[in-house]
Amino acid sequence: MLDILSLLDITFFLLAALGALVGIIFGAIPGMTATMAVAVCLPLTYALGLNHGLALLLGLYVGGISGGMVPAVLLNIPGTPSSITTTFDGFPMAQKGEGERALRVCVVASVIGGLISAIVLFLFAPLLAEFSIKFSYVEKFLIILLALTVIASMSRNMLVGIFSGVIGIWLSLIGTYSISDGGNGKTRLMFDFLEPYLFEGFSLLPVLIGIFGIATILLEAEEGIKSGLASQNIKFGKGGGFSFGIFRGRLTNLVRSSFIGTFVGMLPGVGGSAASVLAYTQEKNLSRDSSEMGKGAPQGLMASESANNALTGGALIPLLSLGIPGDSTTAVLIGAFTLQGIQVGPLFIPENADTWYVMMTALVFANIVMFFLMFYAIKHIAKVVLVPKYILYPIIVMMCVVGAYAINYGIMFDVWTLLIFGVLGYLIQKVGLEVAPLIIGFILGGQAEVYFVKSLESAGSYGIFFTKSPIALVLWGLIAASVIFSVVMGLKSQAKRQVEAS
Amino acid sequence: MESGLSSLLSVSIDFETSHLFFPHIIHWVLGVLFALVLVFNVVPFLAAVRRGERSLPILGESMDKFRFFGTLVLIVAYFQTMSMVGNFFPYTGYGFLFVSMVFLFLMSLMYMHTRTRRKVLTAAINALVAPTLAWFILARLFQITLP
Amino acid sequence: MSMPSIIKTLGTSVMVAGMAFGSSAVAADAQLPGNVRVVIGSTSTGGDTYQNSSIVADGLAEHLDINMKVDAVGASSAFRFLDRDPRGNTLMIFHDQSYLGHLYGVQGYDDIFEKYTIGPTVAINPGNAYLVPKDSPYQTLNDVIEAVGNGEEVRVAIQPGGVSEIGFSALKNAISIEHPGMEDNLVAVNTGSQADKNQQLFNDQADMINGTVQANEQYTRLPEDDQKAMRFLWLTARQGTIEQAPEDGLGQTSREQLLQYVAPNVSVPMGNGDDFTFDKEFFFLYNKDMDQAIVDQIDQALTEIYDEGEIQQTQKTSFFIPNFKPSDEAAEYLETKMSVYEDIITNIQ
Repeated sequence: MLDILSLLDITFFLLAALGALVGIIFGAIPGMTATMAVAVCLPLTYALGLNHGLALLLGLYVGGISGGMVPAVLLNIPGTPSSITTTFDGFPMAQKGEGERALRVCVVASVIGGLISAIVLFLFAPLLAEFSIKFSYVEKFLIILLALTVIASMSRNMLVGIFSGVIGIWLSLIGTYSISDGGNGKTRLMFDFLEPYLFEGFSLLPVLIGIFGIATILLEAEEGIKSGLASQNIKFGKGGGFSFGIFRGRLTNLVRSSFIGTFVGMLPGVGGSAASVLAYTQEKNLSRDSSEMGKGAPQGLMASESANNALTGGALIPLLSLGIPGDSTTAVLIGAFTLQGIQVGPLFIPENADTWYVMMTALVFANIVMFFLMFYAIKHIAKVVLVPKYILYPIIVMMCVVGAYAINYGIMFDVWTLLIFGVLGYLIQKVGLEVAPLIIGFILGGQAEVYFVKSLESAGSYGIFFTKSPIALVLWGLIAASVIFSVVMGLKSQAKRQVEAS
Repeated sequence: MESGLSSLLSVSIDFETSHLFFPHIIHWVLGVLFALVLVFNVVPFLAAVRRGERSLPILGESMDKFRFFGTLVLIVAYFQTMSMVGNFFPYTGYGFLFVSMVFLFLMSLMYMHTRTRRKVLTAAINALVAPTLAWFILARLFQITLP
Repeated sequence: MSMPSIIKTLGTSVMVAGMAFGSSAVAADAQLPGNVRVVIGSTSTGGDTYQNSSIVADGLAEHLDINMKVDAVGASSAFRFLDRDPRGNTLMIFHDQSYLGHLYGVQGYDDIFEKYTIGPTVAINPGNAYLVPKDSPYQTLNDVIEAVGNGEEVRVAIQPGGVSEIGFSALKNAISIEHPGMEDNLVAVNTGSQADKNQQLFNDQADMINGTVQANEQYTRLPEDDQKAMRFLWLTARQGTIEQAPEDGLGQTSREQLLQYVAPNVSVPMGNGDDFTFDKEFFFLYNKDMDQAIVDQIDQALTEIYDEGEIQQTQKTSFFIPNFKPSDEAAEYLETKMSVYEDIITNIQ
């Protein structure tokens, strides 16, 4: 143990803190992601050495994931894909002038999620890795299906919501059935002349910031950019109306969402954004008072943010105990290990005990630093909404361009995607389709396809989805419960509306 | 009975055409849903429009045409000239840097309702500083490729 | 960074911008421009292509005193960038997938020998491997060939259409030679990433998987009663390649041990008296219209870099085998290599 202490010097902690800070900035800029932050700093780690390098990268990872909450709440643009569900309640709160309060709720939820997942990682990594390999294509498909059921419960009109969701899935299928997912690499759903641009389909991030960011600006432009400020009445002063009392009775939500985040992060290939969507669904289904969710309820923020920060610990589980990255950021982290000539695999933890403890220290420390940085900086960050729109909007467009261009390391078509989906986002809101279900369909559609088709390819029967394993049956139970719940809720609110109308 | 069920569920996917299997299903689902939406939402809505209770989206609404189409035109011009200028100075990010300055300034001017000297000056300074800062930090310090 | 140095960097940047204006007017004297982007055929910044390309790009940038940056844009985008830029601002580094994709008829892959100029080869990743569960009845690759020959079905998890499939194709070809008509009992299970392939093995959906020494070595050291334990059956690399690996090998598997799994110890006949081998080699690809002087410049620079001998050490630390061949030599060599694999792929169709 003393050996490890000698590895932890001042520089180590400074680097972790620096990482968290830079990560937060990256995450807070619409279009910049944690993955990008880790990728651009990767070359630095060679000079820093393994332990110091890891401190920096883990700081970036934690900071980058949490930073995404800022634009999600204040501007209705998810800073990272996994903060999509944060916009559902965060932005309505910001519109009510409660941006600061919303952000504080997010920060507290984030640090709880981050620390719970770190503890789970520390205590149970090898055990959970054992469990995660029991999830074959079939179970992964069912998890995606479960996350998709949120579409039904969160839409204003269930039929239109589901229709929008399926359109989202359809859009996600454009491009090749990718070879890197085991597909045959052929393109579909496009004209031949579009192939040079759409070969790999639309990328998630430009679609997301186009449909949220650019579309919002178009809608405002149509109104003539009326008010000079992004929000009129802002409650500043003491914590913006935040107190820890808001978390009373929310412990179950926080713990449940953190575990969901950790668990989804742990499954390789099931993307990080599924985690916050799933946590959000479960809170909506299981909590007694979920009717306000989507209109500015802090509980939605807690579910979303604790789950997406819990991803960090979760995604490290398969990385460190199977050598398999749990999400796109950890895929880049592998580079840091190979750069130093260290293998990750099932024997990593026993063979590199020092590095393992060092990583845990960095992870926990980065979470704490993130908390203090954000919690006390929020007062100033929340003032973004005080910037006049004629200054703020051009900057948002510019940063969206940077993010879109950089996400796939410099592809101009991704910038055009921004505009295409900006216009599309404008149109669908005009004709009454729903944006959130569409985007969730888009995020999950690609994975749904691969897991569905691959399950059938190997089994040759639709029956496999029911007979595969007990885990599959449990998942079916959850799916059924989720569907029944949203139907009941839908009927209730319909009845309520009729009563009000008559 | 048993075999009847299993043959009903059985499916064989040819790898060569497996890229069309899932889209095919989605097309059917989309078609059915569209028909339902048409019957339950679109038809009642159009009926309401005819009775004059509701108005058509986009067409029947008032809009600030100048700012709306101006935004679209500016963004298209921004993206287009950015890659053209960028192509003159490959992989330096100058395309982004210089074109962003012009774009930021024009868009700010367009969104202002009253153009006081002070506001225009703020917009100009912002148009110079913001892209430079973004370019310097990202393209120079972090070596991210920009147009 | 302190304030004065920011101003200084800004100053130089403005000057460089000014110079760019000036120099674009003058006809380029056919050498690499000051800003070069190396696009690679992979979208991963943690993978072997990226790692290898950065080693080479860093070396070149330092040697020629220019800016070089590696961007992981993926194969189809990388080819497109290369198509559009004959100036030498865009170079590409990729591996055998670039022509194997074409041989397997994957959409988006053209004949690179026709469409591009082949640049120098720089290194080999010797890790391409085939593994079975530790408790598998197949002790050697020969057992697999015999079993399939006797009508047993053996399922192999691969990623279709390239590097991961070529060993499978060679095995199928060998079976068709030794046990004609039985080769269809060797079944490909088409999956994606290494994680997916491993998963197929754990879930008993495959009897053998394609993998790599780097990613799977630790699995081979797990105890037999562990569900995840694996065993190497075959490394496709040439014996001569593995012999150049560091003596300690990788992880706790020494070079000596690795050599047990390569030809001629493991034999996959091709029908012409030779055993099949496959080394995953990384090489440059250039736009066809790029000035020959730039091709020569890069050849020259790399020759000097490899003469210094430092880059080889860096490559070996990351378990790459240095393998520099100037562009002419490389083009000829790779074309021969391709024709061998073309025969195998047509044979089994």
